[in-house]
Amino acid sequence: MSLFALSVRRFSTLFYAGMTLAGLGALLAVGLFFSAVRDLPQVPEPLGRIIETPPTEIFAATGERLMIIGGREFIPLNRISPFFIQAVIATEDHRFWEHHGLDKLRTLKALWITLFEPGKIQGASTITQQLAKNLFFSYRRTYLRKFRELLVALQIENQYSKREILEAYLNQIPFGVGAYGIERAARAFFGKPALELNLAESSLLAGLPKSPTRYNPYRYFERAKKRQQLVLARMSAVGYATVAEAEAAYQAPLQLIPHPAGTPKGSYFLDLVLNDLEERYGPEVVYHGGLKVSTTLDPEQQAWAIESLQSGLAKLDQLMGIVDEDQTGDAKSLSHPQGALVAVECNSGAVKALVGGRDYSETEFNRAIGNNRLPGSGFKPFLYYAAFEKLSLTPANVFVDRQITIPVVGASDWTPQNFGREHEGPMILKRALMKSVNAIAAQLVERVGPDGLVDVARRSGIKSPLKPVYSLALGTSGVSPLEMAAAFATFAAGGTRHEPFWIRRVEDPLGRVLEEQIVRGQRSLDASIGYQVIDMMRGVLASGTGKVVRRLGFDLPAAGKTGTSDDYRDAWFTGFTPTLSVSVWVGYDRGMRMRDVNKVGITGGRGAAPIWAEFMIKATNGEPAREFTVPSDIHFETVDAVSGEIAGEWTSNRVKVALRSDQVAGAIPEQPAIQAADEPAVEETGKSTITEEDLPPE
Amino acid sequence: MSEWAEPRDFKEWTRRVFGLRSILTLLLVSSIFILELRFDWMERILGAYLVTTNSERPESGSIWEKSRQTRTARKTLDQILTDKQTLQREARSAATFTQIAANVTPGEGVMLSADHFRKLYLRLAPSIAHEVISPFELLGIVSGGLWRRTYFEKSGAGMVIYLLDANNRVLQQLELGSMLLSQLKRGEVALAESLDQLPIFENRIYPADRFFNSLESFPEDVRRIVVPQPETLLEVPGQIVRVGISDETQSGFIELGFEFSNGAQRRVVLVQGHEWAVWRLRSNLEGTDMDNAPGRNGDQNEDGTRQ
Repeated sequence: MSLFALSVRRFSTLFYAGMTLAGLGALLAVGLFFSAVRDLPQVPEPLGRIIETPPTEIFAATGERLMIIGGREFIPLNRISPFFIQAVIATEDHRFWEHHGLDKLRTLKALWITLFEPGKIQGASTITQQLAKNLFFSYRRTYLRKFRELLVALQIENQYSKREILEAYLNQIPFGVGAYGIERAARAFFGKPALELNLAESSLLAGLPKSPTRYNPYRYFERAKKRQQLVLARMSAVGYATVAEAEAAYQAPLQLIPHPAGTPKGSYFLDLVLNDLEERYGPEVVYHGGLKVSTTLDPEQQAWAIESLQSGLAKLDQLMGIVDEDQTGDAKSLSHPQGALVAVECNSGAVKALVGGRDYSETEFNRAIGNNRLPGSGFKPFLYYAAFEKLSLTPANVFVDRQITIPVVGASDWTPQNFGREHEGPMILKRALMKSVNAIAAQLVERVGPDGLVDVARRSGIKSPLKPVYSLALGTSGVSPLEMAAAFATFAAGGTRHEPFWIRRVEDPLGRVLEEQIVRGQRSLDASIGYQVIDMMRGVLASGTGKVVRRLGFDLPAAGKTGTSDDYRDAWFTGFTPTLSVSVWVGYDRGMRMRDVNKVGITGGRGAAPIWAEFMIKATNGEPAREFTVPSDIHFETVDAVSGEIAGEWTSNRVKVALRSDQVAGAIPEQPAIQAADEPAVEETGKSTITEEDLPPE
Repeated sequence: MSEWAEPRDFKEWTRRVFGLRSILTLLLVSSIFILELRFDWMERILGAYLVTTNSERPESGSIWEKSRQTRTARKTLDQILTDKQTLQREARSAATFTQIAANVTPGEGVMLSADHFRKLYLRLAPSIAHEVISPFELLGIVSGGLWRRTYFEKSGAGMVIYLLDANNRVLQQLELGSMLLSQLKRGEVALAESLDQLPIFENRIYPADRFFNSLESFPEDVRRIVVPQPETLLEVPGQIVRVGISDETQSGFIELGFEFSNGAQRRVVLVQGHEWAVWRLRSNLEGTDMDNAPGRNGDQNEDGTRQ
């Protein structure tokens, strides 16, 4: 056999072998087709059914929409900018108008690249295929899924016109920031309807669906611009724009609106709202029911709360000598102190602002509602109230700041220490609270009893588990900033406790009311005794451990208390005006000690109070000075801070105290003897090592 | 089929390659490809076939899952709203506080307008109404202009009523304990039933003509404090047939029950008279000394009225 004949014979064999293989392939494809068709999803009729889920919307107290979940805003093709339509077609599927669901040339090219160019994978999905994938399939990449996707695409092409397909596609593609569909994206990014998008805006948006997170222009503007350039180049190549027009569009400034509308601004707050809604109605109703939820959030105050907390924590980083090592996420949240701020309206309990951490995008753990942080001396106002109520003491009664040891059944004796481990001797109770003297607080709790303190804390609104032990007076049971703000608001509201709430009203998509909040209060503290504690807490700001607040320029009538837990692990400041109660906490998630560069501990006065002050200055800007309501049976006396006697002309250490009508300054009630060592019924778990905050640095 | 043999020369090669069979095969294969590329007939055939099987295929996939979740959510919401609306409807049609109290369940209160509350309140006997809230206090709230709605909520065996402003802030909270609720129930029964069903008037029910004859024997100023607002009685349709005098004194007042007959319907309207004046009237009715009057039972006619 000649060489030529041999070649022909080989060619012929190959040809017929190829034909046989093609035949077998066709048979396999037919088998595969019928196998895949069996459980292929049904295509809805009409295709517009994809927008049937109404969105759940969450609104601020001002009516501003904070978040939109699910739902689609379906608009016809003629209400979409032609630039955008062209940009999408040029980028995603430039032969869209010609093919019938499958772009064979592009598929062959992609197949070639995928098979013969190692490390490269080329996609060739048409718009119809992408629509089929988005509507019916998961994002798991398998060949079978791709095949099924193709089959559905072929059906869609057969069943609907090109315009209908394009319309459905453009109304459901994701653009990031919670925006699905072009109308919502246009409004979210540029604050305008889809019809009004220009070439520059259209080309930017058309580039996003490929990877909404990766090309998010708010976070990665340069990447988004590069993608826009690519889109414009495609438009130019396809003939939708000239090179000059593409270049001009690329150079044109983009007026992105500052915050994408519809995206969460106070996400810790929104998490709280969503969790609450899920508990009440279940996730299906929340995410697919189209609820309209009105909340109590004041967006302005929320913005100030975030700003104040972030700037306060940044200053704290400086104070502590923490260098930002470009860490993100969990690593940053562990290496930097975290914080939380909650603002509650005193006469209703409405939560006006809530921030649960330094940055929601880095850590979603909500520290504003976590009840695991020790309030330290921030708990003392409840103790003083209990002492006034149960022992009929007055702010002018004199106690001696001295070393004290309280015997505890079943445990070693409790010997609380003052900050600095020094004692000042006799002083009136108002001064003891202002200076946050632990030795006197210990004497009070020893007489009131831990149960008495727990009772007052509960009546004020503290809900966390409280261990009835003596050291509770120094804040050794974990609470949350939300609880503290709400409990202090009870004092501000004249003893009327309002449960904190964040959802004002919930409606169904048709506007029918599912629930609405009744702003009810319960008289739980005596207004006059409460006022006495308020007056003492005003002293904390005037010349006590919280005077940094005044130094920073907050000058409206206010009261508050600092708190620092063991070894400076938590720093608190909770304070209030007659209308707004705000609690601020800072500390490490892992409970590490907070110390400045000189190894001096960070107290409530240094760490939390400045954040409180910054927020309050902004939140009360322009408000008139409202005084706390003085109950009719309260009168004021100026007394000697040491002896408690009415101050004379020559008394140097004068303090003004609030007394009830049946109380007179200088009249010291009989002080019961310290309880016998075996008397307390409660068990102390161990010796407290609570330290107290120092005064803020001058 | 003959075995393939090698062509012997170029001519045979040419004949075989350009033979009819080869050309037809080539034409067929290439036309299939060209027609597919040009007209997408394969996609069309497959698509058309899939359309015919569409209705038999499962409603699976993310869009259908979402649709199912939406349907479930709607159903749940509809159920919640139906329950709520039923409760609300029953509350709106309730003629008395006790009917509302019977409807509200723990955790599910009802909201009514301020006007509706006032209507219910005005139907109460003055003494009982006073227990709910003093009319003067209510007047103060009304004149404040803030009261918009009223929320009724179950509280233990009793009920709490919140008078609310437009922002749902509580202007006044009224506690209706179980005792007061049972009192209300008794008082409200009196509005629709006869005097005989009210134990407070037992043995002290008089024919209307006898009552008014006796009343007329007193000077105008005394009559005015026995029945301080006779106009309220004039407004009630029907004729007064019997009058009952309570034996209980409340804050210096005694309850008087006027039984009206309007065709087949009977109705009792309660008013309060000053204690001393009512005792004088009653002693006059009984023909006894005023000081001995309380607690004394006289003989009774068969129709329940006193001789």
